[in-house]
Amino acid sequence: MGGRPRRAMRRLLLYAAMVAAAAFFVAPVFWMVSISLQPENEVFSKAPHWLPREPTLRNYRDLFARAEEAPVARWFANSVIVAGGGTLTYLLIASMAAYAFSRLRFPGREPLFVLVLATLIIPGQVTIIPVFLVLQRLGWFNTYLALIVPGLSGAFGVFLLRQFFLTIPRDLEEAAMLDGCGPAGIYARIILPLAKPALATLAIFSFLGGWNDFLLPLIATNEVEMRTLPVGLTLFLGRYDMQYGMVMAVATVASLPVVLIFLAFQRHIVRGVVLSGIKG
Amino acid sequence: MSASLSSARRQEAATGYLFALPYLLLFLVFMVGPMAYGFYISLHEWHILGRQKPFVGLANYRALLADDLFGIAMLNTAYFALLTVIPGNALSLLLAMGLNARIRGETALKTAFYLPVVLSVAVVAIIWRWAYSTEFGWINHYLRLLGLPPAAWLNSPKLAMPSLALMSIWWGAGGQMLIYLAGLRGIPEELYEAAMIDGAGARARFRHVTLPMLRPTLLFCLVMAVIGSSQVFGQSYILTAGGPLYSTLTVALYMYQTGFSLYRLGYACAVAYALFVVVLGITLVQFRLLYARREGEAR
Repeated sequence: MGGRPRRAMRRLLLYAAMVAAAAFFVAPVFWMVSISLQPENEVFSKAPHWLPREPTLRNYRDLFARAEEAPVARWFANSVIVAGGGTLTYLLIASMAAYAFSRLRFPGREPLFVLVLATLIIPGQVTIIPVFLVLQRLGWFNTYLALIVPGLSGAFGVFLLRQFFLTIPRDLEEAAMLDGCGPAGIYARIILPLAKPALATLAIFSFLGGWNDFLLPLIATNEVEMRTLPVGLTLFLGRYDMQYGMVMAVATVASLPVVLIFLAFQRHIVRGVVLSGIKG
Repeated sequence: MSASLSSARRQEAATGYLFALPYLLLFLVFMVGPMAYGFYISLHEWHILGRQKPFVGLANYRALLADDLFGIAMLNTAYFALLTVIPGNALSLLLAMGLNARIRGETALKTAFYLPVVLSVAVVAIIWRWAYSTEFGWINHYLRLLGLPPAAWLNSPKLAMPSLALMSIWWGAGGQMLIYLAGLRGIPEELYEAAMIDGAGARARFRHVTLPMLRPTLLFCLVMAVIGSSQVFGQSYILTAGGPLYSTLTVALYMYQTGFSLYRLGYACAVAYALFVVVLGITLVQFRLLYARREGEAR
C-alpha cells in the first residue's frame, strides 16, 4: 500500500535535512579558511567567493611580518606553552588526587570530595576577580604561571579520573602489594598504565580548554608579548579592521591545532563528552 | 595485631593526604579561597588603586537594586538564555535523533556538528562578524538574492542579541548533541517495539518512550545550558562591546567593565555574586520541576 516508497521518501528527506544541517555547521569554518586564502580584491567582492579564485598565501606571510605590533608567532608559542604545560601538570596533579580519592582511605575523604564536586557548577566568572587579586599578590601578573596555575584547580579531571580508577579491580592492587609494592608504586605501575584511555581523554579536553580560554588570559596579562592566541586575535581585530584576509589567517592559525587534534582523537572526545554528561 | 593494623591505616591515611595535597592546595588557593574572598570583597568599597577599602556591608548589593545598567544586563542575559537554551537544546536533540535513525555517514555528520565546539570564542566571533557584516556579509548577500531586505545584524539594538544567540547556538549545539545521542542510544530497543505493538505512532513513541527515558539527560543539558548562557561574555565583549544602546550588555560583561575598566572591584564582585545566586536558584528550580513531574507520573 505504498509503504515502502513512502518510507524511502522519508529517509531521503531526513538525509537531506541532516546534510543541510551539516552544511550550516561547517560552512562558516570553511568560509574562514577560504577568506584567509583570498587576495584583498576578492575578499571585498560583491558576491562572496566560497572558493578563492586566485588563492594566495600572502595573508599568512604578512601576518608573520608584523611581528613588532602583533607577534603572532609569540602568541602561538604562548598558547602551546600554556595549553601543553597546563595539560601535563594537570594530568599529574589530578591523577594523584583521583588516586587518593578512589583508592586510599583517609579521614575527611568523602566530604572533601563532595566539596570538590560541588565546585563543578561554579561559573568561572564568580572567582575571576579574587583570582586576579591573588595573582597580583603572588607577583605572577604577565607570567606563564598566571596563565597556567589557576586552571589546575578545576574539579572536572579529578572527577573523571576517579570514576575511571574506581573501575580498576582491587585484585591487581593486592597482588602488587604482596610483591612489596607501596602506594606510590601501585599508582605509577598499575593505575596510571591502566588508565591510559581516560588520561588521553582528559588530556584532549584539558588542552582544548587551555588553548581556547579567553577570560583568564584577558585579565591575567596586559603585555602584548604575554597574550595567548585568542586574546591576541582580538587585538588584531581592532588594529587591522579592514584587512579581513589577514584576520581570518590569524583565526585559522589559532584554530588549526585544535581542529587537527579533534579530527585525530574524535573517539576520545565523544567518550569524554558522554562520560562528563551522563555521570555529571 | 590491632596496633599494626591501625598503624597501617595511619600510613594509608598519610599517603592519601600526600597524594591529594598538590591538588587540594591549588583548589584552596584558586577555588575555595576566591569564593570566600570574592564575597568578602563585595562587602567593601574596593577600588584597585585605592589605599583604603572601607567595609560597607551590603551597600553594594543594595546599590545593584537601584542600578539601571545592572537591571538591563540581567534582562539581556535572561533574554540571551531564552534565545539559546530551548532552541539550542531542541536543535541538538533533533540532530541526535536524526543520527540515531541509523543514517549513513554518521561519523562525518557528527564531525560536522561538533566542529564549531572546538573553536575559541574569539575565532567564533571573528567568523560571524564577517558573516553579519552589513555590506559584505554573506548572510545579507543571500537575503538580497532572495529579494529580502538586508539587515544591520550587529548594529541594530533589536537584532544584535538574537544575532549573538544564533552564533552561540551554532558554536555549542554539537556538544549537547553528543550527550543526547548517548542518551538515545541508552534507551532499550524493546520499549519501542512494545510501543509499536500497542499501535503507537512516531509521535506517541517520542512522547511516551523517548522523552520520559531521556529525562535525566534533558535535565543535565538544560541545567548546563542555563549555567553556560548566564556567563555569556566573549561574544558581546568581542563583537558588540555591549552595544548598540546596551542591547548586548550582559551581566558578565558588566562585571568585567565595572571591575577592569572602572576598577570598582567590590561592586564587580557583588555583580558576580548576585548572578551566581540567581543562577543557583534557577538550577534548583529546574531540578525540582523536572524531578517533581517524574514523581507525579509514578503515582
